Amino acid sequence: MANSLRLYLTCIRNTLEAAMCLQNFPCQEVERHNKPEVELKTSPELLLNPVLICRNEAEKCLIETSINSLRISLKVKQADELENILTKKFLRFLSMRAEAFQVLRRKPVQGYDISFLITNYHCEEMQKHKLIDFIVQFMEDIDKEISELKLSVNTRGRIVATEFLKQFI
Amino acid sequence: MACFERASPALKEILLKIHSRAEKPMEVDHNIHEFGSVNYHVQCSASEPLYTYLSISTPILSSELQPRTLDMVKGICPDVMEIIEPPKEGYQLTLKLNFARIPHNKVSMKMITDISSVQAVILSSQLKELLRKIDSQEISRDIYKPIKLVYHPREPFFVIKQLGKITAVFPMRFKENTDVIIATAFFQELMDVGSSGTFAKAPNCIWSPIPPLELRGEPIEDLSTNAGFVSFDITSRHVEGKKLDKTVWNLLNFYTLVKYHVKSTRGYIQRRMRMRLESLVQLLQHVEKEENQQIKKKDQGCTRVRKWIRFSKSKIIKRKYDFTKKIKRIRSRIKIHGFSRFRRRWLTMTKFSRLTRYTKLE
Repeated sequence: MANSLRLYLTCIRNTLEAAMCLQNFPCQEVERHNKPEVELKTSPELLLNPVLICRNEAEKCLIETSINSLRISLKVKQADELENILTKKFLRFLSMRAEAFQVLRRKPVQGYDISFLITNYHCEEMQKHKLIDFIVQFMEDIDKEISELKLSVNTRGRIVATEFLKQFI
Repeated sequence: MACFERASPALKEILLKIHSRAEKPMEVDHNIHEFGSVNYHVQCSASEPLYTYLSISTPILSSELQPRTLDMVKGICPDVMEIIEPPKEGYQLTLKLNFARIPHNKVSMKMITDISSVQAVILSSQLKELLRKIDSQEISRDIYKPIKLVYHPREPFFVIKQLGKITAVFPMRFKENTDVIIATAFFQELMDVGSSGTFAKAPNCIWSPIPPLELRGEPIEDLSTNAGFVSFDITSRHVEGKKLDKTVWNLLNFYTLVKYHVKSTRGYIQRRMRMRLESLVQLLQHVEKEENQQIKKKDQGCTRVRKWIRFSKSKIIKRKYDFTKKIKRIRSRIKIHGFSRFRRRWLTMTKFSRLTRYTKLE
């Protein structure tokens, strides 16, 4: 793993560890309602300052915390057009199957490629450190997968081009 | 446009069916449309069981078939097929097929495949004619003038005769942005592979996002593309002997090849994403499973309680008796000085596990 990526992921991990201290908190506005405050933003006293971690201009992570929920938004690097469409395709594919992940948001926050929403219930059902491990692993996997996809698309293209030109010789 | 197989699969199937039932005359009237621009009409009547009429309509350079093209068609199976003049209305060529002359053995399959590839022969003949003239040194007024070939309404390409070579230029258009990017990546690979030493003998391939100079003066609608222009320089080396047929077929199939590559790459990306989704979901399920196992462990409770359960019934009753005695002593009204400290030390209740779980609010 590249050194800068390791530092970036470690920073995200540490921030998540600090931010993920969620507790059950019913809505202050509506009785018998319990909703993620980070989404509704009804009471400013229940929100913490959002943290933005940037590896570079194209790669960043926004962590928004509230008393009972946490929202993590990721922007994945897209060096060229091919990476751009592969990233968009893949993350859209995952978002459309968000129910399989539980913590994945169906629509990313504006300006980001993918978002996670973790509530206090998720923290109760799953261990906190395992959840953080999953987020970090997910980020690593996405990067790896897009690089591999790009490589294999180019390799396929090269094979087809070779076979096509072979026919002329 | 053409497809990878020279013979039309649908036409081949129909002709094979007619041939296999040659003894039982039947009425056949089929219309086949292929690639949006090729039409076939197969007709066979019970009153004339020996003959089958095959009419073909295909986009060609001129409205009528050239004599050389007709000669090539005649050469496919001269014993079996005969060209009918004039062709059926709406078609460019009508063939009269005599299936009685096709033997019922392995040769029949080859003959019918050849007949089914009649459209490929017509298509190839036009480009073949153009490519044959590579070596001609005469400087005519047609030199450097692009010839537009329309085998498919949406896929025209240009052939430009130059000194010692013919350049085929393909304007590439795609409906979706994803397709454009995949195709562009392919064209770049094609250029890289073509410029490598191994393929020095292959036609020089150039991809450019802007129209090449040779197409200057062509209508704007032909020059507006979203995936650029791919050009191949065909020299006399590529049209020698049997190579001519292959070169022509490869050029005719270039659009199809690119589209097929784009489609299969998209499928490949989809497959890979599905696989990756599974592995990512497994990662999360693993987290949940571990958590559940830990909860189960906690549910088993304190070791002391588990030991108690293992005791015999008589022992449990005896302990219960002692326990009630202790309680009675605690609840007695007589207060003994210092007894509370003793009670705290010796008469503590057994520990029970408690799940530290919250219940969701409805």
